[in-house]
This record gives sequence, C-alpha cells and structure tokens, in this order.
Amino acid sequence: MNFEAVIGLETHIETNTKSKMFSSAPNLAEQEPNTEVALLDMAFPGTMPRVNKEAVRKALRIAHALHMTIDDTLYFERKNYFYSDLPKGYQITQQFRPIGRNGYVEIEVGGKIKKIRIERIHMEEDTCKQLHFSSYSLLDYNRAGVPLIEIVTMPDIRTGEEARKYVEKLREIVTFADVSDGKMENGSMRCDTNISIRPYGVDKLGTKVEVKNLNSIVDIEKALDYEIKRQSESLLMGIPVIQETRRFDEGKKETVTMRIKTDAVDYKYFTEPNIAPIKLSKEFIEDAINTCPELYDQKLARFTKNYGIELTDIKILLSDKNLADYFDECAKFSKHYQSIANFMISNVLSILNKENKNITEFKVEPKYINELVELLENKEINSSQGKKIFESVVKENKSPLIFKKELGATLINDESTILDIIKEVIKENPSLPADFKAGKTRAQGFVMGQVMKKTQGKANPGVANKLIVEELKK
Amino acid sequence: MNYLDKTIVEIHEALLSKKVSVLELTKEALKRAHENSDNAFELILDESAIKKATELDKLPVPKDNYFFGIPYVAKDSFSTKGIETTGSSNILNGYIPLFDATVIKYLNDANAVLIAKATLDELAMGGTGTTGHKGITYNPYDASHEHMVGGSSCGSAVSVAAGVVPFSLGSDTGDSVRKPANNVGLVGMKPTWGLISRYGLFPFAPSLDHVGYFTKSVEDSALALNLLSKRDDNDATNTYHKRDDYFKEVSKDIKGKKIAVIKEISTSIKDPVLAKKFDESIEFLKGKGAVVDMVSMDATLLSTIYPAYFIISCAEATSNNANLDGIKFGPNYGGNTYQEVMYNSRTRGFSPLIKRRFVIGSYSLMSDNQHDLFLRAQKARHMIVDAFNEVFKKYDAIYLLAAPKTAPKFNEASDKLSDTYLLADNYLAFGNFGGFPSMTLPLGFKDGMPFGVNITSKPFDEKDVFDIGLALEDFTNLKGLDINMKHGEDK
Amino acid sequence: MRAVNKEVLKDAANRLLFDMSDEEYNTLLDEFHIIKEQFELIGKIKGVDDSTPMTFPFEVTIDCLREDIPEKPLSKEDALKNAGSVKDGQIKLPKVL
Repeated sequence: MNFEAVIGLETHIETNTKSKMFSSAPNLAEQEPNTEVALLDMAFPGTMPRVNKEAVRKALRIAHALHMTIDDTLYFERKNYFYSDLPKGYQITQQFRPIGRNGYVEIEVGGKIKKIRIERIHMEEDTCKQLHFSSYSLLDYNRAGVPLIEIVTMPDIRTGEEARKYVEKLREIVTFADVSDGKMENGSMRCDTNISIRPYGVDKLGTKVEVKNLNSIVDIEKALDYEIKRQSESLLMGIPVIQETRRFDEGKKETVTMRIKTDAVDYKYFTEPNIAPIKLSKEFIEDAINTCPELYDQKLARFTKNYGIELTDIKILLSDKNLADYFDECAKFSKHYQSIANFMISNVLSILNKENKNITEFKVEPKYINELVELLENKEINSSQGKKIFESVVKENKSPLIFKKELGATLINDESTILDIIKEVIKENPSLPADFKAGKTRAQGFVMGQVMKKTQGKANPGVANKLIVEELKK
Repeated sequence: MNYLDKTIVEIHEALLSKKVSVLELTKEALKRAHENSDNAFELILDESAIKKATELDKLPVPKDNYFFGIPYVAKDSFSTKGIETTGSSNILNGYIPLFDATVIKYLNDANAVLIAKATLDELAMGGTGTTGHKGITYNPYDASHEHMVGGSSCGSAVSVAAGVVPFSLGSDTGDSVRKPANNVGLVGMKPTWGLISRYGLFPFAPSLDHVGYFTKSVEDSALALNLLSKRDDNDATNTYHKRDDYFKEVSKDIKGKKIAVIKEISTSIKDPVLAKKFDESIEFLKGKGAVVDMVSMDATLLSTIYPAYFIISCAEATSNNANLDGIKFGPNYGGNTYQEVMYNSRTRGFSPLIKRRFVIGSYSLMSDNQHDLFLRAQKARHMIVDAFNEVFKKYDAIYLLAAPKTAPKFNEASDKLSDTYLLADNYLAFGNFGGFPSMTLPLGFKDGMPFGVNITSKPFDEKDVFDIGLALEDFTNLKGLDINMKHGEDK
Repeated sequence: MRAVNKEVLKDAANRLLFDMSDEEYNTLLDEFHIIKEQFELIGKIKGVDDSTPMTFPFEVTIDCLREDIPEKPLSKEDALKNAGSVKDGQIKLPKVL
C-alpha cells in the first residue's frame, strides 16, 4: 500500500530591525549576555509595548512577496503561559488577526511548478536564551523581544524534498527582501514541521506528528523522509501512529520521541489591552512594499536584460543576495560584465570556498575587482600575473594598480623585443614553421610557451600571439 | 492655620508671595505623615524630600507652574526610580524600579515634592483598603477606626483627607479613586481613558485602568489634569486627542447644561439624609440654569455592571501579574525546578484575597468557560457602554450619589463577595467600561462622616464634569475640605 | 461551563503557579456560588450573545508606530540588580529540562 504524506511547516524568522519588536533595545546578535535589554524586555511592572514601525514594514514586504491578503489594521493578542524564558508570562502575538492571510509560494519540483499555500503570516516576539548546565540553567534576556515573523503553510507539502525547496524559497525571499539573514544554523530562521500519512485516495487525515529540533535545511528533508518511512512501516505492521512531538537526532539521522502530546495547552488568548489597534494607511503599506529590495525573480530579469551574461552564471551570482549585490557594485564601474562574472566565479568564489567564508566577509572593494578585470581585458597583464596580483589585493585590500607596479608586472609590450625572442625560439626549433603550415597548431602554443618561459611570463600575450602567427607563416 | 491645609492654588499664591517656603511645607507634610495613625504609608521619604525642597527654595517660584514646591504622595503602584515600589504586595518586597512612571516624571519635572508612597489594596485589586501587606488603612474621619476608607487607593485618599498633602496620585479601575473619595470627602477624578499616560503604573486591567488623583477642590483637579494629561509615546493607548486648558476653561456657568439622574440607581438609595441632600443639590443645579431629568435605564443591564467588571478585571489581572515570579525581581525563595521557584514566590507573595481573584480570572478564561464568562462579560460591557452612550446623546452629564451611604464599617463589608448587592454601591465601574471622565466630590456630612456625589460625562468632555463640580462647590461649601476644615452636618 | 469543585479551583490556581490553603479554597467555593449568580445575571441581558465583545472603552485606533532607532539599553548591573539569583552575568535557575 502506498501512503501519501501530508506535511505542514511553521517557520519563525528573526527580523533584522535595529531595535526590538516592542522595545527600543538594540537588536544585536551574539553580544555579552544581558547587555541588550530594555525595561520592557525584563517585564518590569508598569512597562508597556511600542510597536516597531520597521518590523511592520518588513512583515508587509514578506506578506506581499507571499501573495498574502494584508490586514490594514494591526491587532495584537496575548498568548499566556509560564516558562522560564518568557519574562512577562505571556507573549505578544497576532493570533486572531494576523497581518497576512491566504497566500502562496511556488517551488519547482521534478520540472514542474508546485504551489504551496500559506495560511498565515504574523508578527510576534522572541524569548530569552537559555544556557543549560548540569544542575542549573542561565537566562540571557538579549534575545527577549526580538521581532519574529511566523509563517504557517497549509498542509500542501508531500515530501522531504518539497519541504526543503519550500524553506529554500523562503530563505531566498527573506534574504533578498533584506528582512533576515535566514540562517537556520544561528537561529535566525527556525522550522517546525508536522506530518501525517494516509493511503492514497483517502481524504481523512492520519495522526499528526510534530517534529522539532531541525537545525538545517538538510535536516528538514532528512527528518521528513525518515518520518514518512517510519510512519509507513508502522502502519503496514498494523501499529497505529501515536500523536506526539518528536525531535530530530542529527547524529542518528532519525526522529526520536520527545514527548507524548497531551491536551492542547490553553493559552487563554485575549486582545492585548496595552496596544490600541493601529490603522495602516494605504500609502504606508504601498510604500513598505515599493521600497522592498529586489526579490530573486526581479533580479534575474534585470541581470538578464541589463548584463546579458550567461544564465548559468547569473544563477550562480544570484545564489546569494550579497553576491548579487557585490556584482552590481563591480558592474557599476565597467561594462565587461561577462568578464567580471567570470572573474568573480573563478577567482572570488574559489577563495571564499577555500577559506569557508561568505561574500559578506570578503573585504575587497568592488572597484578593485574592476581594475583587475580591466587590466586583464586590456591585456596589460596575463592571467598568471592576474592571479598573483589578486592574491595581494585580497590580502591587503589595496588597488591592483599598486601591485602591478610593485611586481614590476609591466608586460613586455614592445614588439621588437618580443619578436627577437620569437625568432630565437624558432631558431632553436627549426621545424616549427613547417609544422604550423602543415596544420599543426600545437606549434603556436609551443612557441608561446617558450616565449613566456624566456620572459618569466612577462610577454604581452596578445602581442606575442600576433607576432608568433606572422613568424610561423613565413 | 497652616498653608499646607490650603488648596494647591492657594499654596501657590503663598509661595509666590513668599508667605511660606517649600521647605516649610515639606517639613510640615513629613511631620504629618509620620504622625498619621491611619497606616496610609508604605514609605516616607524624608531625606530626598528635604533635599529637593532645599534646592527648590533657591529658585524663583514660576508664576505659571502651580505644582512648584507642592508636596505630594503617590500610590505605591507608580514606579519611582530608586525608590522601593511594592504595590503593597509581598511579592514585590525590595523591588526598586529603574525608572519613573510618566506621571511621576511630569510631577517631578514640575518640581512638586514627592514625600511618600501610599498604601493600596494589594496590586490595586480590592475596594476595602484592607488587603495591602502593611495591613488595614483607616479612615481619618473616624478616630475609632471602625470605618473604612475603601480602596484600592486607600493611602492616597488618606494622605489628602488627613491634610498631609494637597494632592495625591491614585488609580481607578472600577472605582478605586472615586469610591474612597466619597468616603473621605475628597475630589477624586478619573479622566477619559487614554488621556493620562499609564506608563509605569502597575497594570491591573489595562482596558479599565486609569490614572486618577485626589485634590480638595475642583479647581485643583482641573490644574492637575493640565499637568498630567500631556501626551506620552511610551503608552501605546495614550490618545492623540487634543488636550484643553482645563484650568483656564473651567467655569461655574452651567446654564443650559442637561444633566441626567439615573432613576434605577438613584431610587435604590434609602438613606434619608443622603437622599434629601442629593435632592437639594438637584434643585440648586436647576436654579443655576441646568436641566436635570430622571432618566430610566434597563435595571437588569445596570445590575450586571459589577459582575461584568469583576470577571473582566480578574481575567485581565491574571495575565498582567504573570510577570511576578521571583525570578527577575521580588523575593526569590528558590526551588528544585523553575516551576517551583515561580510557585514558591507566588504562593508566598500573593495574599489570599488576590489569589481568589486570580483563580476566578483563570477560571473565566479557560477555553471551556471563556464563551460563557469572559467573552460574555465583554459583550455585556459593550451593551452597557452603548446604553450609557445613548444617555449621553441627549445629556451632557450623569449625576448621582457616589455611594448609598457614608464609609462602610469594617464589620459590615468584607473582602469576600457577598449576597447583599446594591446597585447604587456598584455602578461606578461604568465609567471604566466606557472610559468616561468621572469625578466624585463631597456633598455633605452624616454623623461626622462625609458623603459625595459623582459626575460623569462622555469621553473627552472633562469640561462638563469640572464645570458642574465647580458650580456645586457653591452649594456644598466644602471646597478645600480636609480633616482640619470646619464643616457642617446634614440631617 | 465547567462545574466548580475544589479540584477545578485547585487546577485553576495551579495553572497560575500558586496554591492556596484548604480553608481558602473553601472560602472561594462559597464565593463561587455568588459569582455564579452574578454570571447568570449577565446571561439574562436580552441579546447579550448577539453583541460583540468589547476590549477597549471606545472604538479607537491610535496610529503610533515607533521609529526603529535603538536606544541605550540597561547596563548589565541594572538589568540584574533586582534579581535574587545571578551567576556569570545571567539569571540563574534550577536546571530547566
């Protein structure tokens, strides 16, 4: 019997505003504990929330990118429960009137486009960070109150692969919209999933299992694939699936029981009485959407139209928003778009990969890349000189023109000098002209190689090539 | 006669003409605070008050700042920076706020002198003045301590009634300023919801909470509103509505004002002395050109004011006090798990009365019950507010006795809910439901105990409240009333 | 509506992380009879269930959004000043499982 998996994903995204959702404490990651705390974040009596305008703008951008119906009035509710990481004893969220409803996102699976419907998107706030030791736990309130955007799908996802593609698409959207860095590894994007299976053709949903502790996009796919297998095997053996929460064990690559689901917790939701409803004008909403940085599809269209570089190269450059931005910066200075792309892909990316770094950690000024590409285009230096200079540029973030001078890397451009050397090579290898005329093009390359050897690689390759061909033809 | 016995307006005059100094006023206020036997104070701030007063006497008295040099008291649910603030609850013993509540800041910036924090019913949840962690607060008009001052702003009420200060800050969620004002003959004002910033005030039920305050005259009350109602971004429910110059615009001229007396509430009052005086006051108002009508409302609806208030406030309170867990502030008794830490702190820190209130609140929010209890109470609130708004369509103000009698005795009322439910004793919460501006002021005396009237108007119509109150002072002759003032007796 | 007995009340109290003495539960049980009557009064209002719940005293939107400008946070000392149990610049709790 074949089973169909019915999967829903709930994603929390930390918004990269400068201050927190309801307080003005700085929204900074990885700081010394309890140094980014405002009065409200520690829930001192009498403190009150104030809604962050930029957090709303960013949420509107995501809502728009996900084709949601936007509610133009902001309402907030309290989700009441007690936990060590919840200072107020409640979380301010948008339970009954989320900022966006009924949207979708499109992913590509097996060559086809599939629509994943999104039920809701709303704003809420993050909790404290806890550090656990053997006999005690420590609370850091820096993260308490950080703005979160929660995105909940309809159960349209059917496989681990679809889930992965969905989350990748979300990450693409939030990074391109400059709303979050979307990194699961550092907690700025978190996913929980729920999954049930049912025989194909059956409408009734199976028992839902919740899976948590997914620390990477790869984990999401693995966890769901495992769950589908586990639940299928269970049902085939006649053992019913238990409604529970499981966590993904990264070591074993399996899901394990975390807790058996008891009755749903009663959060006693009611309207947050310390925030009067806020009407968002049409202008405010439109402005938030119109000032959204280019999303992927818009960039793809623009790169194709304005730069005319190879599609595969565009896709590489767009794989990371920051990489695309860096390219835009370089491209400002010159029109050798394909060369810049080539250079970035072969040289910049390879250094980054080698050092396991991200383009945001690449300290070279875009204009230097340009200058280097320019030198290569004008054949003022050859490619091996180019590589050497690039190393220095990366090390010191100085203009390649400086290193060009230092290396004395002035190419030998003088035709007569080069001609003399070519003639020397031909004299040493008298069969070459005949070989060349007989169609053996290897001869050309051989002479070039010898010329470079004799000039320590300083011969201008363009000039040399021209002269070599002329000489060999003689 | 001491200048401290005067109203703010009069004290200001005396300061301007150098008849008295800030230090003299402050020292006298502190002396009276220490001598007071009504258990009205959590903390008396001698050192800081004297320091501030000394500094202020070096400065010229600004003509237009009436609060300069005025000693005042704040209910101990207003956060005061560097000064312990407990909400009269053991759960906050030792808690020292890092910031001032906005209204405290406004008063301090105006150079008023904070001389003490006043007792309250624990966390403002009560109406008898008996549940604060320092014990019972008494009514200064009864040396035998048999009569209550009421609550929850008991200490603040006493501080002005006993002549310790001419102004004190309180809060009003159901009637916590306007009822004690009745019991001690003060002008107790609760303006429109959202007019005064609640930032820094310990929340009880934010959709009902208002900052309120006590003065001895209507003029002083209008003055205070000018200072306290300044718009504050820190409170996201603080209105952008235009503020008037309430003091400058208050006027005794009430010709043509239309005033409604709610029949069902008024006729439920059986005390002949109070009823007679009330009727006489109505004749007085008519004599001044006001139109005063008996207006009937649905008695069933009116009788649900208190139950609906009770459910809504208890429910909201459970959430507002969920931050009190001994972890970030307040006594930490330890435990084996974090739940035990919270549990120990809350079990030991909360008094029995508010625990019962919390349980009722928790019960009415449970998903099984929410529909029948909490949501229905909110629906009732809607209908009650609509009904009063109907009255306000035709009338400028509603005028009633503030309570069916003078201050109850302790053995008559208890903190337990009782069967004997009087409409006239439990209607003031409608002012919180609809955010209506509402003021109690003294009307007369019976057997040595004061009793008062309440004037309520529609949102942002403070002027009608103040004008009618100002006019009434000519009838009552109780302007400036405190314990030291000679007054008549009604029979 | 759930029936009211001591267990239900104890559960309601425990959900708020506190407990009361037996005597206090009994007092509350007594109070609940009165509360029940008062609740029922609300049910008697004609048309109450057709009305909409009211959260704020009047129809109001207050269009106040805070500019995203970070302000100086509390110093670590101030943030932790009022806490009873502190270790390594953080608030210390028994191990949270």
